[in-house]
Amino acid sequence: MKISVNWLKEYIPVTHTVEEMADKVSLTGIESGPVNLGEELTNLVVGHITSITPHPDSDHLKVCQVDVGEDTDIQIVCGAPNVAEGQYVIVALHGAHLPDGIKIKRGKLRGQESNGMICGLDEVGVPAKYMPKEFENGIYVFDEPQTPGAEVYDLLGLKDKMVDMDITPNRADTLGMRGAAWEIGATYDEKPTFKQPELDNSKISDSQDVTAEVTEKELVPDYLLRELKGIKVGKSPLWMQRRLWNQNIRPVNSVVDAANYVMIEYGQPIQAYDLDKLQTKAITVKLAHNGDKLDLADETKVLDKNDLVIAAGDQILGLAGVMNGSVAAVDENTTNVLLEAGVFDGASVRKAAQRHDLRGDDSNRFEKGVDNGIVDEALVRATQLVDQFTEAKEISNVITGNFTKAEPTVIKGDFSHINHLMGLNLSNDEITKILKRLGFEVAAAGDALTVTIPTRRWDMSIEADVVEEVNRIYGYENLPNTLPAGMETRGGYSKKREFSNKLRNILLGAGLDEVINFSLLSKQDVEDFNTIQTEYTKLLHPMTEDHEYLRNSLIPGLVRNVAYNQARKNNDIGIFEQARIFDRPTDQDRPNEVEYISGAVSGNVVADSWNTEAQQADFYYVKGLVEEMLAFTNSDAEFTFVATDEYDNLHPGQTAKVLANGQVIGFIGKLHPNYQKAHAVAETFVFELNIDLLFGLNKKNVKAQSAPKYPSISRDLAILVEKDVENGQLVADIFANGGKYLRDVNIFDVYQGKNLKPNHKSLGYHLEFLNPNDTLTDEEVEKAFTLVKDSLVQKFNVEIR
Amino acid sequence: MSLNDTLKNLRENGIDEAKRAERLQELNDLRVNLLGKKGPITKALRGMKDVPAEERPEIGTLANNVKNDIQAAIEEKMSELNDKLVAKKLEDEKIDVTLPATKQVQGTRHILNQTIEDIEQFFIGLGYEVAPGYEVEEDHYNFERLNIPKNHPARDMQDTFYLSDELLMRTQTSAQEGRDMEEHDFSNGPLKMISPGVVYRRDDDDATHSHQFHQIEGLVVDKNISMADLKGTLDALCRHVFGENREIRFRPSYFPFTEPSVEVDVSCFNCGGEGCRICKYTGWIEVLGAGLTHPNVLKMSGIDPQVYSGMAFGLGPERFAMLKYGVNDIRDFYLNDVRFLEQFKGVN
Ligand SMILES: [Zn+2]
Repeated sequence: MKISVNWLKEYIPVTHTVEEMADKVSLTGIESGPVNLGEELTNLVVGHITSITPHPDSDHLKVCQVDVGEDTDIQIVCGAPNVAEGQYVIVALHGAHLPDGIKIKRGKLRGQESNGMICGLDEVGVPAKYMPKEFENGIYVFDEPQTPGAEVYDLLGLKDKMVDMDITPNRADTLGMRGAAWEIGATYDEKPTFKQPELDNSKISDSQDVTAEVTEKELVPDYLLRELKGIKVGKSPLWMQRRLWNQNIRPVNSVVDAANYVMIEYGQPIQAYDLDKLQTKAITVKLAHNGDKLDLADETKVLDKNDLVIAAGDQILGLAGVMNGSVAAVDENTTNVLLEAGVFDGASVRKAAQRHDLRGDDSNRFEKGVDNGIVDEALVRATQLVDQFTEAKEISNVITGNFTKAEPTVIKGDFSHINHLMGLNLSNDEITKILKRLGFEVAAAGDALTVTIPTRRWDMSIEADVVEEVNRIYGYENLPNTLPAGMETRGGYSKKREFSNKLRNILLGAGLDEVINFSLLSKQDVEDFNTIQTEYTKLLHPMTEDHEYLRNSLIPGLVRNVAYNQARKNNDIGIFEQARIFDRPTDQDRPNEVEYISGAVSGNVVADSWNTEAQQADFYYVKGLVEEMLAFTNSDAEFTFVATDEYDNLHPGQTAKVLANGQVIGFIGKLHPNYQKAHAVAETFVFELNIDLLFGLNKKNVKAQSAPKYPSISRDLAILVEKDVENGQLVADIFANGGKYLRDVNIFDVYQGKNLKPNHKSLGYHLEFLNPNDTLTDEEVEKAFTLVKDSLVQKFNVEIR
Repeated sequence: MSLNDTLKNLRENGIDEAKRAERLQELNDLRVNLLGKKGPITKALRGMKDVPAEERPEIGTLANNVKNDIQAAIEEKMSELNDKLVAKKLEDEKIDVTLPATKQVQGTRHILNQTIEDIEQFFIGLGYEVAPGYEVEEDHYNFERLNIPKNHPARDMQDTFYLSDELLMRTQTSAQEGRDMEEHDFSNGPLKMISPGVVYRRDDDDATHSHQFHQIEGLVVDKNISMADLKGTLDALCRHVFGENREIRFRPSYFPFTEPSVEVDVSCFNCGGEGCRICKYTGWIEVLGAGLTHPNVLKMSGIDPQVYSGMAFGLGPERFAMLKYGVNDIRDFYLNDVRFLEQFKGVN
């Protein structure tokens, strides 16, 4: 809420600029900014139109002689439809500056001299939607005679200075001028003074027309009404109008304006109804029936049984705490009025306002809470103002639908504990003084402290709240910087995080960049890579179809990154992501969160350069990355790669599952050509590994061994074998038959093509034998080598070459 | 010619020949020819038998000197020729060092992870454990246990992706607080943890909003935790992240799960507090929210707020990275253009 300094001065002395105040209030209480209205405005004065003649060359223009306080009247040509002789108006003199950089200059309009401009309110800075409707299509006209030539700024609040307080939900006590005065006053150690509103007792009558009943008492702790009879509705005084439009409230008439004014003054929303428009005089606050209708000025809302309404019989007057209907609106013909001050349950108001898209000044206050202690006083104030403006003949007593006596909150605490929590050592007197500045009552008994909180600070309920008040008013800038001084603790990452960091480092070392993608994917994405065969997990209310499901694979995100980069000519891409996927078993609502590490490589892995030849990414490059990660798991598991054509969007001939002791822990594969095309990526190879499973594997028990002292003996083996026989099968067989000294088998040649038997391939292996404890003999090696060859011939029908 | 003169002649000629040699091979040949068993010196010494016995030692010495002198001349020349050869080889091998390198590429850690890990390392140094929580969380931990019951207006501040009535995508890493306090055994000392991770809000993605972003929650619970401890800790953090000369300030704020609650500003690292575009001409930049753990939050975890107190803070790695490196659009973090990613090589 914007706190006008001129208004604030009614309650506390103000000696600082709004800039200083906003700064100080921000640091001690509520985030605030300075507002200086109309700084650019100049040369705007009151003008009195002494005569008007038609413009000789125009149907709509008029030539006005205007008294602007100078020796002679000035001539101004004006096109406003409502301009008339005798009016007191806003005149922008020659040289005047208006909002948006507009400058007024003397000149001629269709041949007639014009020495300025007669202005509408919107032309001098009051937003059109907040100015009185009657001036919407014309110039502004003062209700009362003013002094010609006098500046108009103060009359119209055009240069008001304000502190705009951006409150947090707990500080709704400052959504009224009086609350704001308490807060700003505490900041400057100034105690605000308020005038107690009083009614003209001679007008108070014991008779009343209406009755009030509240059926939902727990939702409506307070519901008070007063009738005013024989009123004459007119316009509210200018001082009130200018305060309202500067609060972004449009002045309507003297009754409605008074009600709105009291809301700003006290923070307590007030409603007004035309008594004579009520269907019955029995007012009830109750839950609506499904299908009840609330007629607003420009639309009709259909209500349901959750909506709390104000009703007169079957007639719905308003949605309680949210908005009144037009059915009993007060207008210029109203002679009897009913004023209402109620307190409505915040949650109920919040939901209703959301349901019907009607959030506004009233609901904003009820949602966050209002001061239960001033409901009756606010109603008195509204009644007083309406009476003052409309000269009521008769005023009723309070008609009570429900009333809950507001009690101050009593908080008990200890001076020492409060100091403790602040990390300060303030004296009891100092703490007491600060709390008194806030208008709290303090009783001290030794270390014990009892603070009595007025109802206007309903956010205060426990000792910690007192700590905050003392600390902020004392000044956070006066806090020392200390560190927690308790027992030493050993910090660090979890073992699993250290493990996954190790895997990340391998990929970083191999030159892959790390990416971070969104966890929420489209339906298509989760269907595309459901390799873990999980149930999908879907948001109840997604924002877009692109982010509707929890990811079950990191691959779709990585493919999107490859596509994004390749579309920007970053053709050679190696990226990885370490993050969670969501795996939901059929019988579970909550998905398991599983850590994965996945990557995608596309284009060249070694660039073409003056001294290197380009090397394209392929299955084996990615397999190398995966194998190195597996090596760094320090696991004693047996890792195997098994060809698979199970995954729809991977190449059926270039994809392998990765297994640890027979359990699938991930895969490596080339994207299916159709998938690549659909996603606009070049040939791309991907992998995915389940970190949780890898982390759970048994660790190797590494015992150091000296480097071998004896020389190794090697044999080369060249074979011709059918094309479909896998290297893995052959190597396993070689090891199975190579005896205990066979230490290593390396494939050094794979050849398919010309000069070979059809459907065959030629393979070359290098076998290395080593006895760590003795010199091997050629005879021993030859014996083992023969066994290897014999087995290969027998089992795989190979030809030894 | 006396033997004496013969030896002296041999010496003169030998040294002369060595000096004239142009190739190593010539010197090797010379050595073999002159100093070898079949060489002229050996031959000349056969005439020793004709020399009177008393002169023999003198001739012997002379012969040795002649050998050594020739040897020395050959070696000197050899080393000279060697030097020339090496110099030529070096000259031949000269390269253009300005040609581009053979690439040895290390990948770049994502700048958000670099930012997070920098902050993690800071807190690990202060004895904090790093404890990430669940991304799918119960309403209970994400809201109720943080003193945000159903219908609390604060639930409007963060629009939530629900999976069911009770399950949601966590909106804040503070959701981990309840779990950590429950699990902690205070007989082992204070609870000191940070919880980094991804959070989700129902926001439209634009330059400053993302439906997914990161947070780091910090929580310390012990017998004597104070606002001054909070300020000292965050002051040290901000100096670590934004530079040694930074200052921080607290402004009152509101979070349902802390009381008192503060927003924390750091003095502008761009203008040093003078005022500039980055700090919106205030000299200060809002970087995080913090406070003392609300007694209700402690109580709900079975901790007595009369005995223990806690401090909590939550910060946004995206915001930190945007401020520190001048990233203007939060979406850049999630588009993963490698040219964007790789500019942060080694910054942390
Ligand atoms: Zn700055």
